Amino acid sequence: MAATATARAGRIPLSERDSVAAKIARATLKAPVHLVLVVIGLLWLVPTLGLFLTSILPAQAFTLKGWWQIFAKPSLATWQNYSDVFHNSSIIGSLGTTAEIAVGNTALVIVIGALAGYAFAWLDFPGRDWLFVGVIGLLVVPLQMALIPMFTLYDKLGIFDTVLSIVLFHAAFGLPFAIFLLRNFFVGIPKDILESARIDGASEARIFLKLILPLGLPAIASLGIFQFLWTWNDLIVALTFGQNVQPITVAIFSNLRQFGANIDLIAPASFISLIVPLAVFFAFQRYFVQGLLAGSVK
Amino acid sequence: MSRGSITAEPPIRAAPPPTQEPGALGRYATGALFLAPAIILLGVWIVYPTVYTIVRSLFGQSGFDDFVGLGNYRTLFTTSRLLTAIENNAIWVGIVPAFVTVLGVIFAVLTERVRWSVAFKTVVFLPMAVSAFATGVTWRIMYQQDPSLGAVNALGRTFADAIHAPGVLASASPSTPSLVPQGGGLVLKTPLHPGGVALLGLTAIPPQQVPSGAKQAVAPTPKPGAIEGVVWRDFKPGGGVQGKVETQELGLPGVSVELRRGSKVVQSTKSKADGSFAFADVQPGSYRAGIGASTFAKPWGGISWLGAKLITYSLILAYIWIWAGFAMVVIAAGLSSMPRDVLEAARTDGASEWQVFRRVTIPLLWPVISVVLVTMFINVLKVFDLVITLAPGSSQNAANVIALAMWRESFGGVNDFGVGSAIAVFLFLLVIPVLALNIRNFRREA
Amino acid sequence: MKGRKSLVAALAAVATLTAVAAAYASTAASSKPASARAVAGNINFDGVWSGAEAKAFGAVIKAFNKKYPQVHVKYKSLGDNLPTVLATAVTGGHPPDMADIAQPGLIQQFVDKGALKPITYARKSFAANFAPSWLKLGTFNGKLYGITFKASNKSTVWYNAHAFKNAGVKPPKTWPQLLAAAKTLKASGTPAYSIGGADGWTLTDLFENIYLRQAGVGKYNLLSAHKIKWTDKTVTTALKTMAQVIGDSSNLAGGTSGAIQTDFPTSVNNVFQNPPKAAIVIEGDFVPGVATVKAKPNIDYGEFAFPSIGGSAPAVEIGGDTLVAFRDTPAIRAFVTFLTTEPAAAAWAKRGGFATGNKKMSPAVYPDAITRATASAIAKAKNVVFDMSDQQPGSFGATVGQGEWGLFQDFLRKPSNVTGVQKKLEAAAKAAYKKGK
Repeated sequence: MAATATARAGRIPLSERDSVAAKIARATLKAPVHLVLVVIGLLWLVPTLGLFLTSILPAQAFTLKGWWQIFAKPSLATWQNYSDVFHNSSIIGSLGTTAEIAVGNTALVIVIGALAGYAFAWLDFPGRDWLFVGVIGLLVVPLQMALIPMFTLYDKLGIFDTVLSIVLFHAAFGLPFAIFLLRNFFVGIPKDILESARIDGASEARIFLKLILPLGLPAIASLGIFQFLWTWNDLIVALTFGQNVQPITVAIFSNLRQFGANIDLIAPASFISLIVPLAVFFAFQRYFVQGLLAGSVK
Repeated sequence: MSRGSITAEPPIRAAPPPTQEPGALGRYATGALFLAPAIILLGVWIVYPTVYTIVRSLFGQSGFDDFVGLGNYRTLFTTSRLLTAIENNAIWVGIVPAFVTVLGVIFAVLTERVRWSVAFKTVVFLPMAVSAFATGVTWRIMYQQDPSLGAVNALGRTFADAIHAPGVLASASPSTPSLVPQGGGLVLKTPLHPGGVALLGLTAIPPQQVPSGAKQAVAPTPKPGAIEGVVWRDFKPGGGVQGKVETQELGLPGVSVELRRGSKVVQSTKSKADGSFAFADVQPGSYRAGIGASTFAKPWGGISWLGAKLITYSLILAYIWIWAGFAMVVIAAGLSSMPRDVLEAARTDGASEWQVFRRVTIPLLWPVISVVLVTMFINVLKVFDLVITLAPGSSQNAANVIALAMWRESFGGVNDFGVGSAIAVFLFLLVIPVLALNIRNFRREA
Repeated sequence: MKGRKSLVAALAAVATLTAVAAAYASTAASSKPASARAVAGNINFDGVWSGAEAKAFGAVIKAFNKKYPQVHVKYKSLGDNLPTVLATAVTGGHPPDMADIAQPGLIQQFVDKGALKPITYARKSFAANFAPSWLKLGTFNGKLYGITFKASNKSTVWYNAHAFKNAGVKPPKTWPQLLAAAKTLKASGTPAYSIGGADGWTLTDLFENIYLRQAGVGKYNLLSAHKIKWTDKTVTTALKTMAQVIGDSSNLAGGTSGAIQTDFPTSVNNVFQNPPKAAIVIEGDFVPGVATVKAKPNIDYGEFAFPSIGGSAPAVEIGGDTLVAFRDTPAIRAFVTFLTTEPAAAAWAKRGGFATGNKKMSPAVYPDAITRATASAIAKAKNVVFDMSDQQPGSFGATVGQGEWGLFQDFLRKPSNVTGVQKKLEAAAKAAYKKGK
C-alpha cells in the first residue's frame, strides 16, 4: 500500500497544472468517485459493525429486532455478554488452546522452514533442485488429502485430540509455503556476505544463526503473520482433530446449530476471536502486504 | 485467509551456483541436517497421507478388507447430494474469480488518485484478516430473513414499504365463507339492497393488533334507504360462533369500507369504535360491500437468503466481500509498478483514457490479474469454513461444495472414509493443473 | 497372618480363574461380593456430555467414590465426534473402558463386532430398579449390554399459557382436540405451531410420536429396525396425520418458508416469548432449557403429554444416553452396577436436566414441578420406545441434511407429497442399512 502512495506524485499532465478552472472541473468530476468509494467502504464496514453491535445487545433484544435498534435505544448496550464470555471458563480455555496452537506451530514453521529454506538457497548438495520441485508440488496439495489418514494415525499413536496433533498438522501444511517464501528471500541475500563469512571459516550453523536469520527477518515476519493468522482462524483441522481440546472456532461452532438461542455467546465470542487477528494485522500490516506481494507479484 | 493465496506463479530466482566443493558425502550430510525436520514433517503429514488416501479411496466403508475398486468414485458421481456439491463448486468457479478480479481492478483504479486511498483499502482489506468462520457468523446475522432481524432484508423492506405500505390488518382473514377475496381485499358474496345489513367478520387478528379504542361490536339493525354494517373481530376465547356478533367480540375501528355497484365504488367510509358503519341515501339497486385491498396489504416478508434456493449465491456474495480486498491490493501493487512512460506515450499519441486502460493498462497488468484468477480458483475449490458456518442445517445440502462434502461424508455422521477419500482425491485432481503450472514456472526460470 | 498368605493367594487364583471362565462363558457371573473398598482400578470413560452435563456426571462419579474410593473414573468429553472416534478406536483395537452412546444403532454395530462386553452381572440390580421395558432397551442380540442412564421424555408438548388463555383453549388430550385447538388459536390471531424445521430431528420426532401413537409399539419397533418398509400403509397414514399439523402454512410461525429456516431454540423462543409468534411447540422435556427469553413455568408456559390418537394408550418416546462397557473388570462391574441404583440417578437428577427410568428414585428429587411431571411419565409408562432415528444407521437417521432429516425437511416444504417422500425414505433407508452391514 505504501508503494501506491509514493507513485502518485508527478502524474498530473502539465497542461492542466496551471488552470484553476481545470482544477475545479477535475474536483467536480472526482466528486462522484469519492462518493462511490465512501458508499463501498460503508458496505464493507457494515457487516462487521453489525456483528459488534449484536454482541453488545442482550439476547432477548435480538430475538425481536435487529442490531440497529441500538441506534434508537443506545441504553440497550451492555457489556454483560462479554462479561459472561470472560467468566465462561470453557471459552477462555478455548482461547488459550487456540493461542497455544497458533504460537506453537508458527514457531515450529519458522524454525524448520528457515533451516530448509537456507539449505535450498545456499547449500549445494545433489538432488537439491529436484527436492525443491517436490516442495513446490506439495504447495497445492489440499489438506483434505491428509484428514482421514491422520485421523487414523493419531488414534493409533494416542495423540488424537491433543494440541500437539493439531500443531503438527498445521506445521506440516504450512511448511511448503514457508520453505518457498524463505528460500526465495534468502537467495536474494548478497552472495559476498556469505562468501566472506565462509572464507573466515564460519560453520554453516553459525552463518545460518548470525547472518541468515537476522537478514531474513522481514520475510520471517511475513511468514510468521501468515501462519499465525491461518492457524488462529482455522476451522477444518480443529473440527476434525480438536473436538475435545476445543480451539475457539470449535467452541463457537458447537453453539452454531442453535444460532438464534446462543447469539449472546456466539456474537461476542466471534468478535473476541476476531480482535486478535485484527490487532496482528494492524500491527504488522506492512509485513502482511509484503508477504502477499512476495507470493503473487513478480 | 488461505495459504492458497500465495501459491500461484511463484517468483523464482535461480539459486546461485555452488560456492564450495567439499566431498559429496559432506554436502549430503550438511544438507540432510538442515532439511531433516522439514522432510520428516512433509513426509509423514503430506506425502504418506496422500498415498494412503489414494489407496483408501479404493476400499469401502468398513476398511481395507473391503475392496470396491472405483465404487466410491461411482458413488461420488451418482449420489445427488454429492453431485450438487460438484455443481455448486462449478458455480463458484464460474462466478468468484471473475467477480473478485473485476472488483479488484475497479477498486484499485478508483483509489489510485484518491488521497485517502489507504483508509479505503484498509477497510476493504479487513475481512481478509478475519476468519471465514467469523465472517460466516457476521453474514448469518446480516442475512436473517425476518426484515426486523436481518439488515439486508431490513434495507429491502424500507424500499418495499415505500412502494407498498402494509395494511392495518395485514394478517386478518374472513371468518366465514360469505366474505370472499377480491383484488386483494374482501367483499361480501351476497349482493345487498338498500335496507340490508353487511356483516364483515374477520379472524386471525392477534390481540395486540386490534386497533386501540376498539369497543364491543354491535350487530347492525336494518334501516330503510341505507346499508348498515359492522366490521368486527369475529372471535372470542374458545372461538365463538362464526358470522355472529357476540359479546366479548370487539369492533374494528378505522377500517375503510367500500360500497360498490358493479365495479364502481359509490361510497366509502370508515368504521367507528364499535366497528359499525353506515352508507346513507343508497339508491335502489344491487350493491356489494367490502373492505379495500390496502387494509390487508401484507408487509414485505423478506428474501430467504439462507433458504435452499439462494444459499449458494448468498455464500458467494459473502465470499466476494472477503476476497475483493486481496485482489485490490495485489492489482494496486501491479498498477503502481507499471512503467509510467508507456502510459504517457499512449496518451501523447492521443488515445482516450478508456483506450489507454483497455489497450495498455490491462495487457501490462495481465500477469498480475492471472495470479489473482489462479489464486481464487484454488481457494474457491477448497471453500469450506464459510459454507459450514453460514449455511443453516436445512440448507447445507443445497449449499454443498466439494470440501464440505468430503468432510461431511468422512466425519459428519456418515463416517464413510472410502467415499471421503475419493472426494479428497477428486479435489486433488482438480488442483493438479495448478501444481503443474507452478512446477513449469520453476523449471522455466531455474 | 503370614501363615495364611498362601491360602489367600490360592483363593485369589481360584477366584480369578472363575472370573475368567465366567467371562468366556459370557454367562451371568455372580462373583463373590468382595468388599467395596478392596475394588480398585481406573476406568476411562468417553462421553458426549460437556459443560454442565459433564459436571453433573462428575457428581455421579463422586457419589460412586463414596462407596468405592479406590476406583478412578476418568471422564473425557468428545462431543458430537464421539461416534466417529469410538468407531475408529474399536477398529484400532483400543477403545476406552466405557462410553455413553446416544445411538442404539451404534451399540448394535459394536455388539455385532463383538467389541462390547455384556453386563449381565448388573441384571439383578437393574431389574430391581427399572421397569422391564428398560431392560429391553439395553438388550442387544439377546444379552444385556447397556443401561439407558440419562433419558429424556420426547413425548411432550409445550404451549404459551397466555396464547391459550386468549384463545380460550385448554391443553388437548386427543388428536382431534389438538386440531380443534389449533384452529381456534389461528382464529385468535396466534398461529398454532412453531416448527423448528432447520433442525431435521424436530421433524422426525414429530413423525415418530404420531407413528407411535397411531401404529403402536409393535409397528414402531419394526419400522425402527427397517423390518417394514417406509412405503408401508401405516407410514402413509402417519404422514397424512403429520400433514394436518404442518400442512397449513398460515398456522405455522413464519409460514412454511419461515419454519424451514427456524432452528430448534428459535422455535422454542417463538412460543415462550410474549407476545408469542406461535402457541405450541412439540418437542421433548429439554424445551424450557433452551429458551433464552424469560418465561415462568405454569404462568407463561405449560406442558401436556403428546395427545392420544384414536384412543391409543399412553406411550412415551425417549431419547437418551446408554452406558456401555468395552471391558470387564471388577472396577467396571462395580461402576456399572452402581449406575443402576437410586443414588446414581439422584446425584444427577437433583441438578436438573435429567430424567431417569429408575422407579426407586423419588420424583421429589427433581428440582421443579414440570420436570417432575415429564420425568415421572418416563418411569411410569408401560410403553417406552427409543427415538427411532437414533436406532437407525447414522447416515439415515442422524445426519444434517441427509436421509431422514433431509427428507422430512422436503416433506415440510411440500406436505402434500406423501408418497414421493415415502419412496425416497425407503430408498435412503435401504442404502443406509445395506452399508451398515
